[in-house]
Amino acid sequence: MQELPQLVADSLLRLVDMQRFAAHLVIDEAQVLVRSGGHLDHYGLAELEIGATATEQLPFMEGMLPLVETPFLIRSLEMPSGRVADVHFFADDDVVWVVLLDMTAEHDETQKMQQKAYDMTLLSEREAKLIAALEAANAELVRAHRELAESREELLVTHNRLQQELYEAERYVRASLPEPMSKPFAVDWLFVPTTELGGDSFGYHWLDESHFAFYLLDVCGHGIGSALLSVAAHETLRSQALPGIDFHDPAAVLGALNQAYQMDRHNDLFFTIWYGVFELESRNLHYASAGHPAPIIVTAAGSAAVEARELPAKGPALGMLPLARYQSQTCVLPLSMQLFLFSDGTFEIGRPDGSMLEYEAFQQALCRLAGDRSAPLEDLLAFVRRTHGQDTLEDDFSIVRLEF
Amino acid sequence: MLQKKICLLGAFGVGKTSLTRRFVDSIFSDAYLTTVGVKIDKKSVPVGDQTVSLLIWDIAGEDDVSAVRTSYLRGAAGYLLVVDVTRAQTLDVAQSIRERVAREIGDIPFLCLLNKTDVVEWDIPTGRIDELQAAGWNVLHTSAKTGAGVESAFSDLAQRISK
Repeated sequence: MQELPQLVADSLLRLVDMQRFAAHLVIDEAQVLVRSGGHLDHYGLAELEIGATATEQLPFMEGMLPLVETPFLIRSLEMPSGRVADVHFFADDDVVWVVLLDMTAEHDETQKMQQKAYDMTLLSEREAKLIAALEAANAELVRAHRELAESREELLVTHNRLQQELYEAERYVRASLPEPMSKPFAVDWLFVPTTELGGDSFGYHWLDESHFAFYLLDVCGHGIGSALLSVAAHETLRSQALPGIDFHDPAAVLGALNQAYQMDRHNDLFFTIWYGVFELESRNLHYASAGHPAPIIVTAAGSAAVEARELPAKGPALGMLPLARYQSQTCVLPLSMQLFLFSDGTFEIGRPDGSMLEYEAFQQALCRLAGDRSAPLEDLLAFVRRTHGQDTLEDDFSIVRLEF
Repeated sequence: MLQKKICLLGAFGVGKTSLTRRFVDSIFSDAYLTTVGVKIDKKSVPVGDQTVSLLIWDIAGEDDVSAVRTSYLRGAAGYLLVVDVTRAQTLDVAQSIRERVAREIGDIPFLCLLNKTDVVEWDIPTGRIDELQAAGWNVLHTSAKTGAGVESAFSDLAQRISK
């Protein structure tokens, strides 16, 4: 400023004074306001009392004196009038000059820009946090997905192994069933378990040259447990493994089986069975039942008509009552007849509308089957499936046809 | 009446002005309005059997390009160091300011205010707060939004600087 001519320097001072509403305060060593001037009213400081303590009238002076550095500046200080001033402090011998210059316009402009910048920064921080959270969530999802895929793979392996084991078990069960035979009389059968492994089983074999035993049993439930019991009981009968029991005597056989297969030792499973022994020469049929559906005999009546009758017998299901007794029945089988031995899954068939297949309708279906000697048992299965409305039945379908 | 200058310091956007407004005027606004420069407010608080007039300097927050001018603390009896619990980096800024004040002004009483505690999701691990407390920091929880802890924080500092 010293290089400037006095005229220019004075003009500049007037310019600053006019544009910045310059005001000044002079404070002595005792922190007393000794003088003031300029646009004090612009800052709401018109009522200052000369001779009074500065800090009591000017809050921003608290703790500022004595000045540690000079000049000293407080930027953008909001004044009582709401205007914003830069407050300059200058030490001059034993007094301090405080000069106020209005910076309201610059303050407002700076605030606008700073507001935008801070808003953007805060937004960016929130976005970064959100992205981090999303990435963490995504990583967690990827991890969970990978674990799920691994679990699924393991489950698939286990499932395939179990399927293979079930398949092998089913093959074993089927292998235990006898082959159809044609001499001296025809026997065939159809076995369709509702799952891979059912609870039905059946068999027939010669006890001696003139006695033919046949039976069908139905273990409650389905699946591996039922199939294991079914195969075990079937094997007991097939190998005549009931010590001291005459397998010609159906009641004795069922009584001994009941003792051998009490449900408290066999996973709470019980089963029904029908067991018969046919004497080839006399055509006598000795039989007994343990809660099993009665077989049906279909005989020719006249030239074309056929008639059906049941072979009823009473007795509780095997495995439920330790002291159960069974009774053998005997009948003479007429010539040219067919005997159908089956499980309840063959005739207890639900229709899609919820009604059940009538037993008479089932008997008539057997009569139709017997009327056409060349008709396969699959015809009966087809009839049952049509009645049920779908191929998968709710229970094992097992039927043995004997043409004595 | 005893008159004491205190300052509010911290990173930008931590709620220094909101805490002052809550304490002085009992009001709060969700709208964020940045502070440029300095605002000075005044409020009297009882301390024991006397009344202390607090001159509260609400100083613009620190950001990446402009640091808090510690020279503004000249003559201050104490300060409140404000942290936003939803932004962990504001604790780093607070620690930095604390070191500079201690170096340039000296060890004057201060309280660290963990502000915005009404927000459920904190960004600051409790382990870091434990470390600060172990280092001698007095840490208080505040919410300018609900007013929780605000009055007691200012009163606590008034007590400390009036001893």
